[in-house]
Amino acid sequence: MNGKVMVVTSGKGGVGKTTAVANIGCALAVRGKKVALVDADIGLRNLDIVLGLENRIVFDIIHAMEGRCRLRQALIRDKRVQTLFLLPAAQSKDKDAIAPDQMKELTGELAGEFDYVILDCPAGIERGFKNAIAGANAAVIITTPEVSAVRDADRIVGLLEAEGIEQPKLVINRLRPDMVKRGDMLDIEDVIDILAIDLVGVVPDDETVITSTNRGEPAVLDGASRAGEAFRRIAARIEGEDVPFLSMEAPSFWGRIKRFLGAAR
Amino acid sequence: MVFEFVSWILGKKDKPRSKDLAKERLKLVLTHDRVDISPQMFEKLRRDLASACAKYVEIDEAGMNVRFDSQDRTLALVASVPVIGAKRNPYSSKRRGNMG
Ligand SMILES: Nc1ncnc2c1ncn2[C@@H]1O[C@H](COP(=O)(O)OP(=O)(O)O)[C@@H](O)[C@H]1O
Ligand SMILES: [Mg+2]
Repeated sequence: MNGKVMVVTSGKGGVGKTTAVANIGCALAVRGKKVALVDADIGLRNLDIVLGLENRIVFDIIHAMEGRCRLRQALIRDKRVQTLFLLPAAQSKDKDAIAPDQMKELTGELAGEFDYVILDCPAGIERGFKNAIAGANAAVIITTPEVSAVRDADRIVGLLEAEGIEQPKLVINRLRPDMVKRGDMLDIEDVIDILAIDLVGVVPDDETVITSTNRGEPAVLDGASRAGEAFRRIAARIEGEDVPFLSMEAPSFWGRIKRFLGAAR
Repeated sequence: MVFEFVSWILGKKDKPRSKDLAKERLKLVLTHDRVDISPQMFEKLRRDLASACAKYVEIDEAGMNVRFDSQDRTLALVASVPVIGAKRNPYSSKRRGNMG
C-alpha cells in the first residue's frame, strides 16, 4: 500500500487542527479506509483525549522512533471504528526530540500500511511545524474567518509551497452564518479570494463539537451534528467525490423544525 | 434630516460592514507579507523606476504611486507615473530643448 500522508496545519493555534484531524480521520475510517492519525504536537498531547483514547496509551511516537517499541505496538486501535489508529504524541518531551528525517521515515513506514496517514501539526512555523510537514505529500490548511487566522494561513501556504507540498486544500472552520449575514464575518468567497487555494470544506461553529469532544467521541459519529456532517463531506471530497457544500444559511424556523424531524427519524 | 432619522430608526445607516474592512486590510497586509521586500529596497525600486521613466518622458515624481497588488497568489507591481510632457512627441518641439 502507498497511502496518502496528509498534514493538517494552520499556523495559528486554536483554530481547529486537532478537531479536524480527529473528525476527518474518523470519517475516512468509517468509509472503510485504514487510517493512522499521528499526533505531531510533541509535548502538548491532545489528539488522544479528543478521540477518547487517553487511557489506552502505553507507548508513544518517541518510543517508536527511538526503537524502544515497535511502531505497531505504539498504535492504538479505536474501539468504535476498527480501521482507525492513533499514534500518540509524547507528553514529557519537547519538539526537539524529533528531527524531520526521523519523521519522514516514520510516516513512510506508516504509509506502507495505511490508506491515510494524517498528521496533527502543532501551531507555529518552527521546529514542530517542520517536523510535521517533513513526510507529508498533501496538506489541509485550516483557518477561521478572522484576520489573524487567515493571515497565518497565507504564510503557511507560502511555506508549504517552498517545501514542495503543492496545492494545499482549505478548510474554513467555525463559520457563523448569522454573523456572515450581518456582514460581520468574512464569508466563504472572501476567504477563498484572499488565500486563492481550493476549498475542501466549511465547518459551522457548532456546540456539538464541544459536547462531542467532552465525551471523547468525534462529531462525525453523531448523525445529527452539523459540524459532523461538514466533516463527513470533507472526507468524501478528500476521497475524490463531488459533494455539494452544506448550505450555510442561518437555519430558519422551518429549517430547524425540519432538522429536528430529520434527526428524530 | 428626516430621512436620516428614519433610516437610523430602520437601522439602515451606511456604516461600513466590518467584514469589508477585514477583507481590505487583509489584502493589503498579505500583499506586503508575500512580497517580503524591505522599505529601503522598495524605495530604491521606486527611485530606479522613476529615473528609468524619466529617460523617455518628463514625469512628476512626487505624484508617482507604486504598489504591489496580488490576485490568485500572483504578484504584480503596479505603478502609476504621471507624465508632464512627452519628450518623444514630435509635434511638441517646446520641450525638446530640455533633452540636451
Ligand atoms: N466548528 C467548531 N465549532 C465549535 N467549536 C470548535 C469548532 N472547531 C473547534 N472548536 C473548538 O475550538 C477549540 C480549539 O480547537 P482545536 O481543534 O484544539 O484547535 P487546534 O488544534 O488548532 O489548536 C476546541 O475547544 C474545540 O472544541
Ligand atoms: Mg491541537
